[in-house]
This record gives sequence, C-alpha cells and structure tokens, in this order.
Amino acid sequence: MSGGTTSSRLGGWRVALRLARREAWRRKAQTALMLLLICLPVMAVSAATVVWRTSDVSSAESVTRRMGAAAAVLTPQQTRDVAQKFDPDDGTAWGAENEPPATEAEIRTVLGDRPLLPVRRDSADYRTTHGIAGTNLLVADLRQPLAAGLFRLDDGRFPRSVDEVVVNQAVADRGPGLGDTLVLERRAPDGTKVPIELRVVGVGDYADSRTRAWAAVLPGALGEPTADDGPPQLLVGGGPVTWSDVRALNALGVIVASRQVLTDPPPESALAPDMRGGDEGDDTALTVLGLVVAMVLLEVVLLAGPAFAVRARAQAHTLALVAASGGTPAQARRTVLASGVVVGLVGGVLGVGLGIAGSTLAVPIAQRLDAAWFGPFEVPWALVALVAGFGFLSALLAAVVPAFAASRQDVVAVLAGRRGEGRPSRRSPVVGLVLIGLGVAGSVAGSRPGGGSSALLVGGSAIVSVVGMIFLVPVVVAAVARLAARLPLPLRFAARDAARHRMRTVPAIAAVGATVAGVIALGIAVTSQAASDEQGYSPMLPIGNGAVSLPTDATPGQVDEVEEILRKGLPDAPRERVTGVVMDGADHSLDIGLAHGDQRVMTSYWGILGTSFLVADELPGYLGTRPDDRAAADRVLADGGIVVLRNRSEKALPADRLTVEVGEVPFEGGEIAHLRHADLPAAAARVPERSSPVAAVLSPEAAALLRLPTATTAIAVRPTIEKGALKNVNEQLAASTANVELQVERGYQPEAATRIIKIVLAVLGGILMLGGTLTATFLALSDARPDFATMAAVGARPRTRRGVAASYALVVGLVGALLGAPIGFIPGVAISRPLTYDDVTSSTLLAIPWPLLGAVVVGLPLLTALIVGLAARSRLPLVARLD
Amino acid sequence: MTAVLQLTDVVRVHGEAPHEVQALRGVSFAAYAGELVAVMGPSGSGKSTLLTIAGGLDQPTSGAVTVEGVDLARLGQPERARMRRTSIGYVFQGFNLIPALTAAENVALPRELDGVAPRQARAEARQALEEVGIPHLADRFPDDMSGGQQQRVAIARAVVAERRLILADEPTGALDTETGEEILRLLRARCDAGAAGVLVTHEARHAAWADRVVFLRDGVVVDETGADRAETLTEPAAR
Repeated sequence: MSGGTTSSRLGGWRVALRLARREAWRRKAQTALMLLLICLPVMAVSAATVVWRTSDVSSAESVTRRMGAAAAVLTPQQTRDVAQKFDPDDGTAWGAENEPPATEAEIRTVLGDRPLLPVRRDSADYRTTHGIAGTNLLVADLRQPLAAGLFRLDDGRFPRSVDEVVVNQAVADRGPGLGDTLVLERRAPDGTKVPIELRVVGVGDYADSRTRAWAAVLPGALGEPTADDGPPQLLVGGGPVTWSDVRALNALGVIVASRQVLTDPPPESALAPDMRGGDEGDDTALTVLGLVVAMVLLEVVLLAGPAFAVRARAQAHTLALVAASGGTPAQARRTVLASGVVVGLVGGVLGVGLGIAGSTLAVPIAQRLDAAWFGPFEVPWALVALVAGFGFLSALLAAVVPAFAASRQDVVAVLAGRRGEGRPSRRSPVVGLVLIGLGVAGSVAGSRPGGGSSALLVGGSAIVSVVGMIFLVPVVVAAVARLAARLPLPLRFAARDAARHRMRTVPAIAAVGATVAGVIALGIAVTSQAASDEQGYSPMLPIGNGAVSLPTDATPGQVDEVEEILRKGLPDAPRERVTGVVMDGADHSLDIGLAHGDQRVMTSYWGILGTSFLVADELPGYLGTRPDDRAAADRVLADGGIVVLRNRSEKALPADRLTVEVGEVPFEGGEIAHLRHADLPAAAARVPERSSPVAAVLSPEAAALLRLPTATTAIAVRPTIEKGALKNVNEQLAASTANVELQVERGYQPEAATRIIKIVLAVLGGILMLGGTLTATFLALSDARPDFATMAAVGARPRTRRGVAASYALVVGLVGALLGAPIGFIPGVAISRPLTYDDVTSSTLLAIPWPLLGAVVVGLPLLTALIVGLAARSRLPLVARLD
Repeated sequence: MTAVLQLTDVVRVHGEAPHEVQALRGVSFAAYAGELVAVMGPSGSGKSTLLTIAGGLDQPTSGAVTVEGVDLARLGQPERARMRRTSIGYVFQGFNLIPALTAAENVALPRELDGVAPRQARAEARQALEEVGIPHLADRFPDDMSGGQQQRVAIARAVVAERRLILADEPTGALDTETGEEILRLLRARCDAGAAGVLVTHEARHAAWADRVVFLRDGVVVDETGADRAETLTEPAAR
C-alpha cells in the first residue's frame, strides 16, 4: 500500500466521521437512543466490575486484617516440613505429621531477636437475650502495636485484664453491650459447661468479618490452653520477613504469611517445584466468560441494530446522491460505519464514566449485603477499558449490516422515493437451518451426562443456534406479512411494514428471540434441576412431624425438662415419648441385622428418632406408614414379632418369619462379635416415601428376648408445629442441660434461589423484550409518519396510531418469542440432562417451566403491546401536502 | 339546490402577531353536486390551505365551512375524521398511498377505518378500482405500479363508497401530460356522476376540465368564472 492511498483512505474516514458527527448532532433524539442502547450495558458492566474488584480482597489488601501491623504471621504446624505458596492461603503442603511444633527458641534461630506476639482464634457459646449462640474469639493482647488493625474499636477500649472483653456489633446486637457482662460458656474436658463472666469494655469491628460474631479477650481469659489447642500463631515485629526467611521457617514446620512477600512477591521460580503453577480450571472459566461476553455482545448489537438501520436509511437519499455523482460503495459504507464509530466512542466513554460514578453508590449497598469487609475502592482501569472497548465494538457491529446494505442500495429506487427493501435472500434461511442443525448436534453431544466440557459445548451450541435463528428471521417476517392479508388493518399494516423494513425489524425481533431463548434455556435448566432435587428428596419423618433426638446418656430429669419446654412452647402439638433400642454402649455400638436363612434383608432409614429400632406394642402413628398395613403389623407386634419398615424403593419381605441377629461393634475397631439371635414373626409396614425414619419396630417381648437395652430415645412431635414457635423452642432447647434440637420435616423446600432465578429471568426477559420492542416500534412509527398523515387524510381515528403501534410491538414481540422459544429448548433440554443425571438409576429428568414459558412467549408480548399502545401518542400528523 | 361544499368568509391566519400570515382572508365559494370547481392561483395564494380547510384537516380562524349541510367547525376531531371517511375524498399530488398496503387495501382503507367488514370493504374497493380502469392491479403494492396507476388508485380511494365531495390537490403534478389528462378525465366523470369536485391546480389548461374556476391571489378570491368563460383564463396555446 502506498502512502498516497493510506492518506486518501484516512481522508475518506475523516469526511465520513465529520458527516457522522454532524448527523448525530442533527438527529439528537435518535442519537440519544443509540447512545442509551450502547451506554446502558457498558455502564452496568463497568459498575459491576468496580464493585467486584472492590469487594474482592487481594493478598496484598488482606495484610492488615490478617497480621495487623506486624511484618508476618507465623502458624507453627505439628510437623517439621511444610511447603507453601507466597500466600499460604493459596496452597500449602505438609510432610510427616504428629511431631512437636517449632518452639519459640527455634523460630528465633531464623528471625533473631524480633518482637513476637501470640494470637489465637477460638470459639465459644455465649448467653444471648433469648438463649445461647456461638461466637468466634480472638485471644490476643490487642493493646500491643503489632496487633493494631486486627480489631477496630468504635467505642470503649481494649481489655487490660483477663476478665474484660471487646465485642463486635454482631455480638452486641444479640447480647450485652458496652459496660454489661458477657457470659461465655466453655465446655470443660469432662463435658460440663463452665460459665466465664467477662465485662464488655469495648465495641468495634473485627477486621475480617462484618456480620459474624467476634469477641476478643486477653490470653488466659479462657484458662490455660490445653495440649489439644496446639501452639498459637505469632505476629512478628521488626523489619521485613523475606522469602528466604519464609523458606527457613517452612523447614521448621512453620507456615508464614509475610507482609513483604504478599505485597511484593518474588518470581514464580522461587517457589518449591511442587508449589508452582496449579490454578487449574482457569481455561474453563475463561471460555465460559467468553461465551457470556459473546452472548451479551450479540444481544447489545441486536438491540442497537434497528437504530443504526434507521440512521442509515435516513442517510440513504444522501448516499444515493453521492453514488449518482460518482461515489464508491466503500465511501457509502464508511459513512454509515462512521456513525457506529462516533456513537461507540462516545457511548463507551460515557458508559464507563457513568458506571464508575454509579459504583460509588453501589459499593456501600453491596457492602451491606456482604458478610466480609470489602477492600479499598478500586477501579480496575484495564478491565474498565475493555468494557468501553466492548461498547465501541458493539456499536461498530450494529452499524456493519446497515453499512453494507447502504453500499449496495438501489440508487434509482432510493432517488425515486421508494421506501421498501426488496425481497429477503433465499440463501439466508438455508444458512440459518444449517447453523441450527449444528447447534442441535453440538447440544446433543454436550448433553451426554458426565462429559467434562458439556456445559461449554451446550453454551457454544446455544450461540450458534441463536445466530442461526437470526438468519431465519427475514423469511419468517416475510411469511407473517403474507399471512397478514386477512388480519385487521393495524395488524396487517404492522406486519407488512415490518417485512418492508427488515433492516430495522430483523435485529429487533432477533433481540427478542435471543432473550426468550436464553430465558427458556435457563428456565428449563433451573426447573429440571429443582424437579430432580425434589424427586431425590428423602424426608426423615412424615411431612409436618418433628422429633427431638435425646442423647444416649439423657437422664430422666433431662427428658422431663425437654418435654416441659415442648409442652409450653408448642401447646397444640401432640407429643409422644419414643422408646427405642439404645444403640451405643460405653465402648461399642450394637449391630442388629435381619435375615431370612442366608439372605440378608437390607434396610435403609434415617435413624432420626435417636435409634434405628423402636420398641412398641403397636405401630406408632408418627412413622407415616400406610394405614392398610397397620392391622397386620399390630398383630405381629402382639405376637412378640418385628415390623420392618419398607420405603418406596425396597422390596417386600421374603418371608413372614425373620431371624434377628444382634452383634457388637467395638469403637476401637475390630470384628463384629455376634451375641444372640432369635427367629421372630415379621410383617412389613410400607412408607410411601423414598426413606423411612427407622429400620423396624420391635415388640417389647422381642426386645426382652434379645436382651436389648431400651430407653426413651426421642420425643416425637406431631403437627402442627408453627415456624415462629419452633425458633423459640429451639433456643430454649439449646440452653437446656440436654442441649438438644427439635427437627421438623417440612418436605422438599425449593431453594429460594430457584424461585429468585426464575423471577429474575422473567424480569430480565421482560426488560430486554420491552427494550427491543420499544426501540423498533418507535423507530417504525417515526418512519411511518407519512403513512399516518395519509390515514388521517382519509379519516383515520386518532386511536388508529395507537393500534398500529401496539400491533407493531405485538408482531416484533410475538414473532421473536415464537422463534426464540424453540431455540431455547435446544440448550435447555441439553443442559438439563447432565444436571439431572441420577447415578443410581442412570435416568435424567426434564421439567418444562410452563408458567414461565407462557409468560415469556404469550404474556410478555401482549403486555409489551399494551404498554406500547398506551405509551404511543394518539395524535395523527395532519400534513396536507406531502411532497 | 344546496351546495355540497360551502365556504363562507373563511379566514385562516397562521402564527400570531406580529409574525402572523394571513393565508385566507375572507374566502367564500361553493361547489355543487355534479360540478368540478378549479381553484387556481400562484404559489402562496392559499390554494392548499383552502383545500385542507374544506376537508376538515385544518380549522378556519373565522368563517364557516359546511359539507353536505354539516358545519365542520361545530364538529370535533373524531367527527371530522368520520366526515373524511364517509363524505370527503382526498387526492394528493404525491399519490400518498400506503406502501405496506395493496391497491385494493389502500382503496378500502377509509371503509375499513369506518368499521365496514373487511370483505365488504374489499368488494367496494374492487368496484372503485374497476371504475378507474385498473381492476387487474388490485393486489399490487404501490411500489410495483407506475405513477399514473398509483394516482388512479388514489382517486379510487377518494371516491369509494359514493363520497360526494372530492378534493384534489395538484393531482397531476407528478405525472406526464398524457397520464395527467386521463386522471382529470376520471375526476370529470366522477363529477358528472353526481359528486362535487374541487381541483387545486396552477396549470391553466387543467381548468378547462372545470365547470368554474375560482382564482385566488394573496388569500382572496379575485375572480370567479363559469366554464363558458374559462377560455379567458386559459392561454390559447394550452388548449
């Protein structure tokens, strides 16, 4: 390329850019719309980037919250050989264990005569206003300069004596405040609880966590540490602890987080060979990110497309005149592309600016929702520049198709004032079908359960399918226009107009289609997974029932205490003491097996009632067994037999007499010692669920015959157990001497996340659909101005314009949704297979979210049409002469 | 005999003092059934304003406009729209067909807008297209027709369902001479069949088709003449 052509090309761009700038200024409303479409995603993504980077605490940023003002924090291990990465949180490795940890003297051989401050992290229960809750404890002398920054005081002072404590807001909110007494409960080695009373002398923030409970005391406040506690961490003062110091300490079995190493890490080669590299999974994450970016880019380009198409069309006459006076197609193309350049540059920069401004508001909100403290406010400039580049690219891409169309336009037709766009290409639907075929094939390949790259394959295929769909849109729109002949005027006009102006209609419909496809795909995935979870759910008790399992060594007094709490807290819920076999002895546990001859009868159950075998003279009602099994079961129990619970997936009993074998399993390990067995009449009681609460019910005679120890192992609580009351009862039960909990079977609870995801999907789908439809509709309305004037002249009512607007929105929304929904099924069905694959039955499950589907495919287009109809101006332009 | 269109002392002022422009300053004239009235005058004389006011697209500042005895000034916007659907037909210079609709659908537009069942509206449209001589073009889109064919469709739209007043604003302006003459012949025939026509034109030879010529200058009627005296307004070369 010679210098001359380069400069002339640049010169051509200069003219094109000037034209684009003027045009942008001249059509301010249209430009504002284009900017908005490019700006919004850039703004959202750059704000999210800033919030993410601010919330993300890097190794260097975490130094203060980990080691206060110290140069390093040492964690001696019970070994003499550790290896670590620069930040030990990123990876460590141990040699032989069970060795004495490094002593202070040994550490000083490496570090010399530096100040060392011991720090311990521990936990304990404390008395709240209502009962008992847990708190984390920081055991250190916070007055020491080395500890500065570990705990920030808002009020009061740090402890000066062992009977003082500082707490964070999370503790203060639920218990004693400044000046009050905090009662910690520590479990002594013999299991009894020892209260420790401490005076709260300060309230502040623990540097690492905002919402979890933390309290800080001086060493010795909890008594002397035991051997089990291990050595404390040590904060190291003095000058920097170098990487060679760290390696020397590693050789002593000490893990080191050094301020100098974290803030200024040595080259990777300084690491031990087996500590190098290793961040696997990054490739996959990058590919996923790539897919997401591609999808978002596609959506933004499609949404902005119509505006650029209309801008190009507005310039069509100028371009035709230029062509008529000798302009080349390349010049025409450049003129339209320049619009993309101008809007992309301004939109990218503006979006990033607004995004950063917005993130200053978003960061405090996000902090309130996060348990951990964020790092300092941080704008990742390189990333943000990438986002701006993304905005620029999307504007440029949105202008590409109109630009090529402009360079190929029929000059004569344009100059003659014909407004249509000619017939759609016959090749594009073939390309579309081929792409969709590829998408289906890729999805099928990716749907095989267990394939590692399946999600990527399905994701990639989804994008290919969506692109294929875009190629189908023109023919579909043309077909809809043909079918519209019989429709009422506004719909007919809208359908035909949409087909005549494909350049602006197709991207809008494709944007709606892509949105719907995404919503449907994710909806199917989420719903299928939830259905699979529900199918795989095994209730522990019949729905609505509850049980308090009692400890093996519960005294009669404790049982009474628990029953009293239940009686007072849940006066309307019937209670029953559950008598069962005590399975655990002092040094062994019982093993009770069922057999018929050589054939073992397998049982699976939860053991939720404090035992695996109940002892009762009739079948208890709280087991949820089928009523038609009761008569036979009660008869067998009366005969001194055994009733075996059979859940949905278990076979019937092989005979009506079974051998019950009792053995002992020593805790220390070793063989099962067989003790006794008995041949007993047996019956089955079926549980219509996937699981049963216990294995079997023994008659008291059978238990006596087999010399099985029995006790009250649980208290069963029948419905109804109200949620609020349950919380109070459980706080009281936790504070009782037995320290037990009432567990209630509520059945399968769909994760709140599933519901939230579906709502978010529907809302996001709605916003994108509304955005795409609104843009296309109002661009169409402004294009159709002469037609409305004509309609006015022949006596159209003002509401005709509203009708046409709503019809246009309906055509765009409905055609997009109907095209997008089947496309969404491709990846949706594909991804649901690995998501719902059941290893046991090797089956998969497909659940279609019909309400979501109906809402997105039918509801949203109608709603959008209604909104557009109401928002459209009804006044018709009254133009008498339109020449 | 009552006039189909009657303008009495119509004044139309655009803008406000001191920048006001008086488009019409007290124009009175009538068009009777079976009569084609040509309105002539130079650019800016108020011809088009007269037509928009006659069609109820614009309101006079003062004066009265009655169409088939109904005072347009007393009607609201919806009723005036209804008048355009049922009584008044417009023909423009730029044809003003809706490109998204076929010829038949364009003609049926006022009927459909009036709530007539599509099937009947379509049938009436076909009949109107037959009257203007292009029944075979019913299913064509405007972009696929010549200018003359488009203007015929526009006339069919103006006359569909027996509308009594046809307002034509330079209907031949975008056509060649021969095609223009055919369009005027159609208008003339329509008036002979009983409609009242108002033809705005600046070409004197077109006035020869009219029964009367109203001459406007600066918003006032400067001359009104019967067809028998039309020659006096027509340059001899044009005939």
